[in-house]
Amino acid sequence: MRREVPLIITFVVGMIVLFANIVTSADGSDFFLKAWSTEIENWIIIVSAFAVGLATVNLFRIHGDNITRQRPGWFNSLALLLAIVVFAVVGSIARLGSSEFFDTLNPNLYDAIIAPLSAAMFAMLAFYIASSAYRAFRMRSLEATVMLIAAILIMLGKAPVGEMIWSKFPTISTWLMDIPNTVGQRAIMIGAAIGGFATSLRILLGIERGHLGGAE
Amino acid sequence: MMIIAGRVTLLVTILLLGVIVVAGINMSKSGKWTPKIRRLAGLDAVEEAVGRATEMGAPVHFSPGIGGITDQIAPQTFAGLEVLRYVTELTAKYNTEIIVTIRQPTVFPLAQEIVRQGYITAGRPDMFQEDTVQFLSSEQFAYAAGVLGIFNRRKVAANIMMGAFWAESLLFAEGGAQVGAIQVAGTASMAQLPFFVAACDYCLLGEELYAAGAYLSQDKVKLGSIGAQDIAKAITMVILLVGSLLATAEIDALANLLKK
Repeated sequence: MRREVPLIITFVVGMIVLFANIVTSADGSDFFLKAWSTEIENWIIIVSAFAVGLATVNLFRIHGDNITRQRPGWFNSLALLLAIVVFAVVGSIARLGSSEFFDTLNPNLYDAIIAPLSAAMFAMLAFYIASSAYRAFRMRSLEATVMLIAAILIMLGKAPVGEMIWSKFPTISTWLMDIPNTVGQRAIMIGAAIGGFATSLRILLGIERGHLGGAE
Repeated sequence: MMIIAGRVTLLVTILLLGVIVVAGINMSKSGKWTPKIRRLAGLDAVEEAVGRATEMGAPVHFSPGIGGITDQIAPQTFAGLEVLRYVTELTAKYNTEIIVTIRQPTVFPLAQEIVRQGYITAGRPDMFQEDTVQFLSSEQFAYAAGVLGIFNRRKVAANIMMGAFWAESLLFAEGGAQVGAIQVAGTASMAQLPFFVAACDYCLLGEELYAAGAYLSQDKVKLGSIGAQDIAKAITMVILLVGSLLATAEIDALANLLKK
């Protein structure tokens, strides 16, 4: 029963949500499946909240252990746990709306700490793109050589200097992007879409059950 | 009860694909048809990666992506979790540590259960530790920073990434390359595929990720559904070809039919 119950719930819930998006009542009034689907979405939020609780307990246990055992970098764990507590307390008080100070502090914490840190991480991509391009474009194989030549042609086509060198570079670049690139992307996309559907079906029918753990 | 306008094709497609997949599964189960999956170097390389980590005495890192389990990219997450089970059993076999990092809280209990059960199946329940599966953060780049930190502190020898990824894909792939990890990635996220192809040692493209569970288990039922997928793909190709010819002849009958 430990495995059957989740499989039955998955199938029933999946069918309700699926058909709620396909069928409706003949007179245009609210269809019962739609109402059930909306109710299920609310349950998802509640279950997700419990999952956040479990995940937070995991964070506290791992990093609490790091601090008590004074493992290398334990102060990072301390900073993390302090940040969680501060954000949770400030966010909760601001949510209650009883303090103007906390109402201002809450968005400021986000705008002044999380947003710039996220932006910094995102900005690192520029450097990583350069280093990965260098490794990928080294002419170690026929494929890498083709990729290198295509990349050079596209860069020359997109950069103004390319058109100054030879007026045909933008045309070649556009052709490479519109024909071979689009063909390849669409082929992968169609295969992935059908694969995604078949995987969803396997999960709904209980065939793919690795996510439940244990032997099949 | 009636079908919502514009959803008829969707319903017919779902039913048709459903029938094909179920028929494929039944034929495979009865032994009338045993589909074969071509060699997937990316999945064959997983054992090599775990073996290398064992030789180096360093841990294996696994990420099931940053997608959830209730949205449209959920199949990628589930496909990633299928691979996680296999990787866990391999690490148990080789007595190598695995670190699973999680971004989505809803994926966390699933991953924890998979790893715990994987160790039990392999006869090594003692290998499961509190920090084997780690929830890092639900913020995308905080999670990315956490993963990069683990790469550098623990000097992971193998980095396996299977699931839905966004902008953090290149951060992981390059971060892994910088610590010298052998890297195997798989995703159906179109925009991230080029990054994985460029920066990883092995890469599963699109549908290959969804076939991973069947390929690794060689389970007849799963193989049947993968074979059925190919039939669905062939039908799609025929529709594309006919549609292209009709559109060239300025006949929009098929296009109008599919819009219903």
